[in-house]
Amino acid sequence: MDMNEETSESRKLKCDDTSKCFQLLESILDGEIDNSKEVLKEKLAKCQPCFEHFHLEQAIRDVLKTRCTKQEVPTELADCIRQKIQEIK
Amino acid sequence: MSEVQRRKYSQEQKNAIFDGEFMPNIDSMYNFAYRLTFDEDDAKDLVQDTYLKAYRFINSFEQGTNAKAWLFRILKNSFINEYRKKSKQPAKVDYQEVETYYNSDDVDYQSTTDLRAESVKGMLGDEISNALNSLAVDFRTVIILCDLEGFTYEEMAKILDIPIGTVRSRLHRARNLLKDKLKGYAQHMGYDTDEEEN
Repeated sequence: MDMNEETSESRKLKCDDTSKCFQLLESILDGEIDNSKEVLKEKLAKCQPCFEHFHLEQAIRDVLKTRCTKQEVPTELADCIRQKIQEIK
Repeated sequence: MSEVQRRKYSQEQKNAIFDGEFMPNIDSMYNFAYRLTFDEDDAKDLVQDTYLKAYRFINSFEQGTNAKAWLFRILKNSFINEYRKKSKQPAKVDYQEVETYYNSDDVDYQSTTDLRAESVKGMLGDEISNALNSLAVDFRTVIILCDLEGFTYEEMAKILDIPIGTVRSRLHRARNLLKDKLKGYAQHMGYDTDEEEN
């Protein structure tokens, strides 16, 4: 989702209700709101604080997902579990 | 995730569920366990205990429902009930303790930092990981479930046995705490933040 294309000139610098807006933006980023594309587009085009909050929250989610590397699973773990299951079968 | 309705699976069905639906989640399970315990042996024990319990209570699992969420719930409960008591890890700040400072589901969504998206994007995996690991376990947990594992609020509510409203507010607080940590790194590393500019 690239919202950087929009120019910032038309955005208001103060958000009328950051509490409500930020909660909505965070829910959208978490995939909890259906058909959110239009609402999001309008918000980000019109409000600078919303625009900034959205991009920061999005960046944080992105780095968490892509850079918190998965811990390598010890190779013997799966075998060990299967063996224990055999014993209680 | 209902545990009331019990089924009676045949041995063959049990094996199929275990191999087809439970075992494929072992990577995510181990990762979750490791991020809870910070210890390889403890994480292995926790995952193994979880799988043994899952097998023992397999008749409580409804085939076709979300096996990963079901397993995560067992792992989380095992961690709270058994592991935490014998933890090698010194007790960190508990969520209950933290909660007294924020004693409701109402969250102030205005509390933002001047951290910038650009400086977050420039951070290394270790910095992100350390910031996440430094959070109290209940805050860490919601971020792992949501951002690393992709669970929905509803699934998280079931895994954690808390209302959806609490999931939402806890996540928001967790992310705010994470932002504070990241802001600290950003300033330390000389990344661009508003504070330095002013």
